[in-house]
Amino acid sequence: MTHPMIQFDKVLKAYGALQVLKDLDFSVDKGEVVSIIGPSGSGKTTVLRVLMTLEGIQGGTMYVDGEPLNKMNVDGQLVDASKAHIRRIRSKIGMVFQNFNLFPHMTALENCNESPIFTQGKSKAEATEESMRLLDTVGLADKANHYPSQLSGGQQQRVAIARTLAMHPEILLFDEPTSALDPEMVGEVLEVIRNLAESGNYTMLLVTHQMGFAREVSDRVCFFDGGFMVEQGQPNDLFGNPQNERLKQFLSKVLEAG
Amino acid sequence: MDWDWDFTFETVLPRMWEAAGVTIWATVISFLLALVGGLILMLLKTHRSPWVSRPATEVIEFIRATPLLVQIFFLFFLLPEIGITLPPLTTGILAIGIYNSALCAEVYRAGFQAVPKGQWEACIALNMSTYRTYRDVIIPQSLPPIVPALGNYLVAIFKETPLLSFVAVAEIMQISKLIGAEYYRFTEAVTIAGIFFLVMSLVAAFLIRIVENYVKRSILH
Repeated sequence: MTHPMIQFDKVLKAYGALQVLKDLDFSVDKGEVVSIIGPSGSGKTTVLRVLMTLEGIQGGTMYVDGEPLNKMNVDGQLVDASKAHIRRIRSKIGMVFQNFNLFPHMTALENCNESPIFTQGKSKAEATEESMRLLDTVGLADKANHYPSQLSGGQQQRVAIARTLAMHPEILLFDEPTSALDPEMVGEVLEVIRNLAESGNYTMLLVTHQMGFAREVSDRVCFFDGGFMVEQGQPNDLFGNPQNERLKQFLSKVLEAG
Repeated sequence: MDWDWDFTFETVLPRMWEAAGVTIWATVISFLLALVGGLILMLLKTHRSPWVSRPATEVIEFIRATPLLVQIFFLFFLLPEIGITLPPLTTGILAIGIYNSALCAEVYRAGFQAVPKGQWEACIALNMSTYRTYRDVIIPQSLPPIVPALGNYLVAIFKETPLLSFVAVAEIMQISKLIGAEYYRFTEAVTIAGIFFLVMSLVAAFLIRIVENYVKRSILH
């Protein structure tokens, strides 16, 4: 039996009366790289945040690798998930944030080691070896003992990616990973993300304003507006031949802005 | 006003010396109680379940809204009524410790809330346990604002200990009163008590500053 890696089943997310996701149905296959684009307030970041369980949802069910995330199966009934269940399912998901969210009082290496040692129970030597290898793949092995404040924005974001990879997630969520960066640092971070996408090892969900990049690395692009997924398709179709009126407007605006 | 040096050195200081030990002991133990109790109260207050957080909030408000002296009397006279008889010093330390727990709880809460939301979110994304989240990420980052505030409470507790003289604890204020009443000479004893508090407060403030700088240097790079 095959199932999607990520599945949203009628997911409702609301802040009071404001509905941010309206009965969202959405799924991502294993190994698929999906970009989410849309104007601010469209709910695109919320998709990542509820999947990472940073925020609760008011209705519907999310599935990860075929298992419910916010619910669990008890005697054939879906009931609200326990903390332990959420932690078990959540271990398959890693997230890279817009503002990096590195731990400022830890070095780059300590940031990467934290979860493998204390959440996954690896020995310090084992975790360090792996973290150093990951820092090397993002080009920062020489910065392992630097604190975040001693690194540039681009370097911090690359450490944050290494830290996320150290947990061995199957799903990678990127929440506008280059939006907080100075323009000259965007490239180095996109390069790392591109390599991850091309490796085929991860199911990736990317919220971005970098339209060119989304077009280049994605298997599929989804356009969100007003809490709905309005249109989705292969990058060339969606960017080259948009159907929805609001998508056309959105694309003309962002492409104009460059 | 006349000052009797012989009386000061032969009668007052030896007795005050012992009493100073009681005052410092009461301060240190009350402070440790307040540090631990405050952390527990804060964690209960910010607990997700309202069945836990509401009572904790009420208890904190109750403790903060009544005078410490009343609480000392309350414990001193009411605990024996329910069959718990503790020495006056223990009762006093308990009262001061509990009272300051409620105050320290607010210090912790403010300190933890000052840690950016993104740090909490990173802990969730890294699937860290609640224990590890607090121990490795939240508490270290909240120390720079918390340490000076807690230091102020250490000095405040020190200056609250004379209240224990109301329940006859042999701390420095009680002894200076006793000496005064015994010899009809208050000048020397009360002055020395005052100097003792002044000097100890200055020493404590100095030590707190050293700790503060150490914390800042080791956490904020």
